[in-house]
Amino acid sequence: MRTFFGWLYIGLPHGFLLFFVGLWGAILGFISFWIILFTGRYPQSFFEFQVGLTQWQTRLNARLYNLADGYPAFGISATDDSINIVIPYPERLSRGTLLLRLFFGWLYVLIPHGFVLFFLSLGVMFALFIGWWIILFTGQLPVSIHNFIVGTMRWSTRVNLYMGNMTDTYPPFSLD
Amino acid sequence: MEYYPLPQPEEIPEREKEDAMGAYLMMFAAVAIGLPLPIINLIASIIYYYINRKKSKFINFHSLQSLLSQIPTTIINWALVIWSVTIFFKEDWKLTPEFWGYAIFAGVSTLLYFIFGLIAAYKARQGKMYYFLFFGKVAYEASYKIKPEDGENQTPVNKPPF
Repeated sequence: MRTFFGWLYIGLPHGFLLFFVGLWGAILGFISFWIILFTGRYPQSFFEFQVGLTQWQTRLNARLYNLADGYPAFGISATDDSINIVIPYPERLSRGTLLLRLFFGWLYVLIPHGFVLFFLSLGVMFALFIGWWIILFTGQLPVSIHNFIVGTMRWSTRVNLYMGNMTDTYPPFSLD
Repeated sequence: MEYYPLPQPEEIPEREKEDAMGAYLMMFAAVAIGLPLPIINLIASIIYYYINRKKSKFINFHSLQSLLSQIPTTIINWALVIWSVTIFFKEDWKLTPEFWGYAIFAGVSTLLYFIFGLIAAYKARQGKMYYFLFFGKVAYEASYKIKPEDGENQTPVNKPPF
């Protein structure tokens, strides 16, 4: 049901709202850049908004990837029984790292991580296909496939957080 | 008319100061999503005001002042955009001295708004009040004036049965 009509009753309404909420997130992200540059701090309420947005996107992806059942909740402050993302608030952020990321982020983050994530994404698509058939016949997604898809999502989320100036910790090349 | 007492910088939490500062930086919103239309910043300020207005009076004041003060510059810039488009399509891009005069006026207005907006953002970050001409008073009235519905003598809607 979700595979054939998920785009309609999950993807479309969530995608529509996430488009506008994402625009707002982009505005806040841009403004946060300047605030970090001058104050060394990510405004806490802006940060919490971005965390909520990340959680919402992950909730949606988890359903579309057949990682969890149930309809994903709308809203940036909603919670979910199946998905939990913890992003600690950084009290201080480095201005030097901020500028380094702005000018050379594409070089030392996006190219190496993008290269690996490209192949991992191909693997995820294959895993989704295989997983779909396994769920159809057994009603269960094998743990290894589940961990692989979740690990890839975790990896790309970490890269997004780093490039979104929400952490100074360089994202590890790891699914864990 | 009675007003709520103004909080002093040391009484205002860091989070409130940051949120108040963020209100003025909404003027960069259009740049953030890559659209040069001068309405984006106003929409962003309206959204920001409605999201944050109930957090505290300090945030309410700064976000309302930011919102109100963007209205004139938005109108001025919109008029410039419409005039430019008209010249481009109907008059084969012939720029008149009047147009140049207005363009410079719009540019100076926007620049002044940016400068005062940045000063206000800096003051808000320090937990200080900063009043723009005219809009500062309006925002102060709207945020700090004690309204009848705020009063302690307000007639309660729900009453006990005895």
